Order: sequence, then structure tokens, then C-alpha cells
Amino acid sequence: MSTATERDAVTIGDAQAGPTGSTPSSRKRVGSRLREGRAAWILALPFLLLFLVFTVWPVFQSLFMSFTDTKAKDLRTPFAVAFVGVENYTRALTDETFLRAARNTAYFVVVGVPLTLTLGLAAAVALDRGITKFRSAFRLGFYTPVVTSIVAVAVVWQFLLQQDFGLINTVLGWFGIPGPNWLGDPNWSMPALIMMASWRNFGTSMIIFLAGLQAVPWALHEAAAIDGASAWQRFRFITIPLLRPIILFVSVITMIGYLQFFEEPFVMTNGGPLDSTISMSMYTYKQFGFGNYGYAASLSYLIFVVIAIVTAIQFRLLRENQ
Amino acid sequence: MNSIQAKGKWWLYLLLTIAVIAVAAPFIWMVLGSLKPTTELRQTPPTWWPQNPSLDNYTQLFSRLSFGTYFANSTIVAVVVTAGNLLFCSMLGYALAMLNFRGKNVVFVAVLATLMIPGVVTFVPLFVLVANAGLVDTLPGLVLPFLVAPFGVFLMRQFILGLPRDLLDAGRVDGAGELRIFARIILPLCGPALATLGILTFLGSWNNFLWPLVVAQTEKTYTLPVALALYSKGQNSTNYGLLLAGATVVVIPILLLFVAFQRKVIEGIATTGIK
Amino acid sequence: MRRTSAITLAGVTALALTVSACGRQDAASGSAATGKAVSSGAAKGTITVWAMGAEGENLPTLTKEFEAANPGVKVQVTAIPWDAAHDKFTTAITANKTPDVAMVGTTWMGEFAGMNALDPTPPAVDKSVFFDGAQKTTEVNGTSFGVPWYVETRLVYYRTDLAKKAGITTPPTDWAGLKTMAKAMQTKAGAKYGIGLQAGGTGSWQSVMPFAWSAGAYLTKDGGKAYNFDSPEVLKASQYYQSFFTDGIADKAAPATPTTEPDFASGKVPMFISGPWEMSAVEKAGGGAKFKEKYGVFQIPADTKSSSFVGGSNLVVFKNTKNRDSSWKLVNWLTDPKTQVKWYGMSTDLPSVKSAWQDPALTADDKLAVFGKQLETAQAPPSFPTWEQVVTSFDTEMEKVTKTGADPAAALKTVQKQAESIGTGN
Repeated sequence: MSTATERDAVTIGDAQAGPTGSTPSSRKRVGSRLREGRAAWILALPFLLLFLVFTVWPVFQSLFMSFTDTKAKDLRTPFAVAFVGVENYTRALTDETFLRAARNTAYFVVVGVPLTLTLGLAAAVALDRGITKFRSAFRLGFYTPVVTSIVAVAVVWQFLLQQDFGLINTVLGWFGIPGPNWLGDPNWSMPALIMMASWRNFGTSMIIFLAGLQAVPWALHEAAAIDGASAWQRFRFITIPLLRPIILFVSVITMIGYLQFFEEPFVMTNGGPLDSTISMSMYTYKQFGFGNYGYAASLSYLIFVVIAIVTAIQFRLLRENQ
Repeated sequence: MNSIQAKGKWWLYLLLTIAVIAVAAPFIWMVLGSLKPTTELRQTPPTWWPQNPSLDNYTQLFSRLSFGTYFANSTIVAVVVTAGNLLFCSMLGYALAMLNFRGKNVVFVAVLATLMIPGVVTFVPLFVLVANAGLVDTLPGLVLPFLVAPFGVFLMRQFILGLPRDLLDAGRVDGAGELRIFARIILPLCGPALATLGILTFLGSWNNFLWPLVVAQTEKTYTLPVALALYSKGQNSTNYGLLLAGATVVVIPILLLFVAFQRKVIEGIATTGIK
Repeated sequence: MRRTSAITLAGVTALALTVSACGRQDAASGSAATGKAVSSGAAKGTITVWAMGAEGENLPTLTKEFEAANPGVKVQVTAIPWDAAHDKFTTAITANKTPDVAMVGTTWMGEFAGMNALDPTPPAVDKSVFFDGAQKTTEVNGTSFGVPWYVETRLVYYRTDLAKKAGITTPPTDWAGLKTMAKAMQTKAGAKYGIGLQAGGTGSWQSVMPFAWSAGAYLTKDGGKAYNFDSPEVLKASQYYQSFFTDGIADKAAPATPTTEPDFASGKVPMFISGPWEMSAVEKAGGGAKFKEKYGVFQIPADTKSSSFVGGSNLVVFKNTKNRDSSWKLVNWLTDPKTQVKWYGMSTDLPSVKSAWQDPALTADDKLAVFGKQLETAQAPPSFPTWEQVVTSFDTEMEKVTKTGADPAAALKTVQKQAESIGTGN
């Protein structure tokens, strides 16, 4: 299908543009190219103006800061600081707590992202064609965690995760499994936060998948069913391939979000117990709080580098093979 | 369609009902909790139904807060930011997806890159910039830094990439200008994407706490989240009753918007009939 | 290729900016400065004030009296949430958007003074009227910035009825006595844990340092120029603190959100260490005013003396204020003993001025009197700009000491090393 192949050209800078096939005269071609370029710049201008002023300029400033030993008291005289080259960066790479935070973040992402995406996709598929009635009610219900105040979330989840009478351990008890002290045990604190984060965020994936699923032609499913394909086969060979660009988008966005996970440990465990839940973003935030602006800026850009690499890998993996 | 449609798969309905109750339970607890006094909320084990349900938290909140001012500020800021993102991000997203121009790749990489930079690192430089521009304690100061965002560009680009390119050619053949093609042909087809971006942008702006806190110098510029934090969190204790009541109040516009926009997402695709 | 040239341009710009960084000028060695004198006469103009939380809400009522006494002056109070208040201050200082007067947490003083944001206290202000520990919180590098506004300190709360059951009729005054009492609560009064103590983690220093100070520890050495964590007194206090956990008297695995008040009311954990705000909190949890008779407070037991942590908030005037004289007049008015008593009535914030405690409003309550007594010997941590960062390392090590039984001596050596590498920030 034409839309499928065009939708698959979702890689950086790969979008083909311009008409193919019939060849108008070269002068007309140049003219249309020029018109295109001009129109593009008009369309791009408002965004770019605001973007350059409010995003790019602060980025350059903070990048500069990361190569100095700027502290809080230097911020009013940003140039009266000492240039330290990559010292902040090398210090970060040998900072035990930061490395711990990096490992925690990796754990969180490797388990959390697939879990969240699976839940989101399952919910979207179930609500798209799986059922016919009460779809809006279910959609709303599944989206509520995303909009619930983090404080309310924290209170409720702290109760759920209580060792003695928390709901989760009670349910586990029905199956004869003794539940651990989720938030107090360094080995179980991360799984607890992963559960909480997946619960909290799958709604966002769900609504984006739902939007994407709308564009999967039902006619294809009908044709396949007539040929004897099961629901699972239809899902695997029709839905997933057509959904690939959206899967890429949701995966990238969720990954970017989770690599910077902050709220869950900040509110639930404050990085503990024994630094088992401290994340890279939390540690960076703490450093900003201490006034170590140069160092904290370098930590932020290290996080950026990690995110950039992971994103590039995803673009590569989820690229459609032509 | 009916043969492979869920013929009232009761087990699926049951599963989903259990799931949605489990998932939405904290939200329901939050709303129920707003009807309880703080002492009941601190009880362990926590109660579910309020022992003596009362609107006391709400009356306290509304009598202490100049609710109208904060609600108006939050609304103006969220609406303008959402409108700005919907318009400007779709413009650039379309240009990146469909048009050829010099510097196209640089722009896309730059936009994508800033999406990956943790927001905390640009916070202070941004504030100094806004302060030097004289925008502290003003609504434009709350709006301008967020009027466009890279997320919107990325989302719109991905969606527009899925639209048939023949539409462009058809438009050009008909003699339509490039901007007209964008406004009259492409944009109407972007309903679902715009609705989704709208919800997410509005949500982000509505719940934004740190920036409005730092930009405001007087209470007349506070937004709802800032004002609510004022009354619920003390130095050494938290007034959970007020906090949950405030959280419930804050969430209602979002839910209304969600219901309205979600319908548009589904309807939008169905009517455009993207094959 | 266009892409690479754009990137090169960006890179060169960044490099140019970086290299043009002029480098640090050596700061003049900070000698103790005294503020400029303040003119006499009534206050005038507009004074902008920032205050957090409930103080921000209640202050306008009080300042109306100031306006009445000083016609022509307008006091504009902006209430700020406690949540992220520290960030609001640091960004405001950075962008030069500070108010005239502000209420500032005692542990933030070193940092803000280090950012050169605060105005030194005028010489006419009598520093001896304040509690000593509180006054020290305003002193950074020998200079006093601002004045203490209200104070709080930490005492041991205990259930009097359960203590009687455990055979304790008078509160203990030494360390051994405290431990015996807590243990007796468990064995004879049915408590699950004798005393609630924070098992390390953020802010746990406020529970451990009172014991260190009671043992006579000084947290600085070399004439106040360096941190001093691995002193014998701090070690003694850490070992004592650890013993509560190893002996099972305090809960190692206490939940992140403390359940202090419900546990106190139910008798599960009938002792804990905290500040004056807990009085109304436990009374609410215990069912109202009749709970008042069921609990009491006593001073931190002494090793060489009884000392505790003094916190609270100070009032500061910012350096770039445009209305300096009137701002200081407001600050002085707020620390007048009569105003302090009035403020106590409105907010239950404890006065920082010693003579205000003679007022019947404060002498009436016996529990309050114990707080007043402890305030006389309570101490505050050094007001170094790096305190928050350094004490984080202390909190982390304390967590290991209490939860995993790590060796306190080694832990304190680690903390001291960290403290030395971070420096005092002065």
C-alpha cells in the first residue's frame, strides 16, 4: 500500500521530497524548488525564532558553563569563572554516586520501557477493536494515572507497597508468596518504582497508539480473516508493521522520558534506600541544588549524550527494511 | 466486520473492567480523599470511603484562594501555549516532512537534539534571559518560553510523513500556493495528531509548577499549581485534605478536555478515510 | 557540506565564548563586615516581603499594624510555597529580582550570603536579645546578616501513660537513661519499637547532631575554617545512635513517609524526637485536646550537657534593596518582644527573642517551657555555603551505619574526606 511505504520512510533526513516521474522543464523545476524553499522558511520562521531565543541560547550558555567551575555565587558574573576543560566530565565518569545513578537508570529503562509500551499497546488494541461498548469510559479510566497529582499517587502507592498490610503483599499472600518490604529493601525498591512508573505512564502510550491504530485499514484484517488468519497472526503481520513509525515515536519519547526519570524516586524514596533508586536526573538536580552549576551542567550533557546514542540506536532498529 | 469483531467477548470486558478499576483506583481514592479531613487521611491503614464526607476542604480552599485569578492565569497561559504549539509546530513539522529546503536536516537534528537535553540545565539561563527582557512577573513571561516545543514538531512530522504525497502534487497542479496547500489540504487531515498534541501540550502547561513559581514575583501572577502548593504544603507538615482537594480541582479541566479531544481523535481519522 | 559547516560554526562560537572566560579574580579575603547604620524616623515607601507558607498567609495581618504606626509606608507581602522555595530564591538572586525583605530558612543563610545577596546587619541591632544558637545562624564568616525571626528546637516526645506502665516516672537526663526507657517501653509497655529515630537518609543529621552536640562536639575546627566530622564526640554520638538500631529499639526499615503521629497515638512507637509543630499533630492523631495529658516532652539527654538542634527562619534584607532604611525598620519591628508575642499568638511560631518568653502567653504551657529551656543551649550547624552538600554525605553514611551496621569510625572518616574535598565554600 502506498501509505505504508511512505510511512516507513521515518528516518532522519530520509523523507523524499519533490515530484518524481514526469519531468517538467528544468526552469520550471528550479522555480518550484525556489517556491518550495521560500514557503518552507516562512513556515519554519515563527518556530525557529522562538526556538533560537528561548531554547538554543540557554543551551549554549549552559554548555559553556559545563566547561567551567561555575558555582551558584558566580551566576551573576558568568564570565568571571575559571575554564576547566573537560574536568567536570571526567569527574562525573569517576563519581561513584553518578555511576550508581546511571546503573539504576539503565535498570529502570531496560525493564520499564518495554513494560510500559506493552501495556499501552495492549490497552490500545483492546479498546480499538477488541470491545465495542464503553470505550470512552475505559479510555478515560486508563488515562487517569497520567493526570493524577504525583502526591496523591505517592500516598496511594506507598500504601499499596506497605510490607505488612499493603494491597500488593496481601494479594501475593493469597498465592502464598511473602511480599518483601518494597520501599525499604534496596533489592525491591527499583521494581516497585518500575511498576509505579509503568502504571503512571502507559496511558500516554495508549492514546498515541490509539491514534495510530485508527489508520490501520480494517479491510486488511477482514481479508486476512477470510484467509484463515488468527487474531494473533493478524496482529503480528498486519497491525505491527503498519504501526512501526508510531511504535518508533512512542518508544523514543518514552525512552527519553524514562532516561530522565525523576519524580518517582524523588517523591517515593528520595533516592534510597542506600542509593538504590537514585536516578541520573535526581543526582543532577541535587548538584544544581548544591550550587555546583558547572558540574551539574556537565552531568546534564552526559545524560544528553546517552539519550542521543540510545535514540539513534532506536531509529536504526525500528527502521523498516525496504 | 462482525465475524472477527469481538462478539461481546465477555471475558475481555471483565478483564478490562478489573484492569481499569485497578488502574483508576488511586485517582478515585484522590477524589474520595478530598472529602476527608487530614487526620483521617493520615490514618494507617488508609480508609477508602470517607467516614464523614464533607466539602470542608473545598470551602477552605475557595475561601482562602483568589481562585478566579489563578484559574484565569492558568487558563490563559495553557490556551495560548497550546494554540502556539498547534500552529507553529505543525507548520515546521509539515515543512520538514514534505518540503525541500536548505538547512532542513540541520533544523531537524537541532530540534530533535534539544528534545533530548534535560530541561533542568537550561532553567537558570532561561530565567536570567527572561528577567533581562523585563518579562518577570508577567503572563508573557509564563507563555513565551513554551510557545513552541520540539516535541510538537517531532509528533507532527511523523504523522504528516504518513500522508500521501500525491496531495501536494494535486494541489500544485491546481495552481495552489505552497502555504495554501498546507492550510487547506494538509492541516485538515491532521485532526488526530493535532488533538493528541493539544491534549499533551495543555496538560504540560496546566500542571507546570516550577517555572510559574520562579517567574512570579507577586501572587497576582500565580497559576493554579503554585497557589495550591501554598496552602497544602507546610515547612514540616502537609495538609493532605487541601492537597487532594486542590489536585482534584486541577484535574477536572484536563479530563473534560481529554474526553472532548479523544472523540476528535477517533472521529477525525474515520472521516478523513486515510485508506 | 552545509550540515558540517553549521556545526563547525556552532562549535567555534562555543569555543570562543569559553576561552574568552576571563578567569577568576582573587576574592578579597572576607573580613568581618558590619552593616551601615540605619537612619531614624518613620518608615516610608513600599517594602516588598517574601514569606513562605503559613507565615506568608498570616504576615499581612501583622504588618497592617506596622503600616498604621508608620503612615506612608506600604508593606507588600507575597506568600511563596515551601515547595521549591529554595530554587525560587537562588534563581531570583541570580537574576537580581529579589524583594526588599525575606524570610529565609536558617540552613540557607550561608549559601545566600555566599552569593553576595544579603545586607549585613546594622550595628545598632542588639544581637544579645536572641537565643545564642539562633543568632549564630545569621553569622556567615563572622558577619551577621539579618536577624532570627522565629525558632524551633527538637525534644524527645514520650507517652506519659505508657512510660508509667514501663516504670518510668521522671524523664531521663542522660544517654543511658534514654536507652533504658526506650527498651522498657518495648518490654513492659507493649511498644513495637521503643523510639522512632530516622535511620539515616536525607535530614537524618538533625536527629544525630543533637547527640553529637550533647557530647560536646564542635562541627568546625581551625578557628571555624574547616569541617570537623571525625572528632571523638561525633563518633561517640554515632555509636550511641547506631546502638538503638542494632539492639532493635528503633526501626531500621521505617517507611519513607513517616507514620510518626499514628504510631505515637497507638502506642506502637511511643517515643520520638521532633519539634514544636508535632504537638498539634499528635493531638489531632490522638483524638483531640484530651490527648494533651497523655504525652510529655523532655530535653535531649546530656552526655556532657544537653543540646539540641535549633532551626527556624531568619529575616534578611537583600543587598540590592531600594528601600534599605525602611526595610530594616520593619525587620526590627518584627523582632520587638511585643510583636514576637503577638506573632506567636497568630502563628504558634516560637519567638527568637529571649525576653518574649516571659510573656504569660508562653509561660502558661509547661510543654512550651521545655522548648524554651532547650533553646538556651541549642546549636545550629556551621553556616558554610557547602553545608547542604557535605551533610548529604553524612546522611548517606549514617544510612549505612544504621541499616547495615557499618563501622561508624570508618563512615565518619569517609565523611570527613568528602567534606575536605568539597571545602567550606568560603
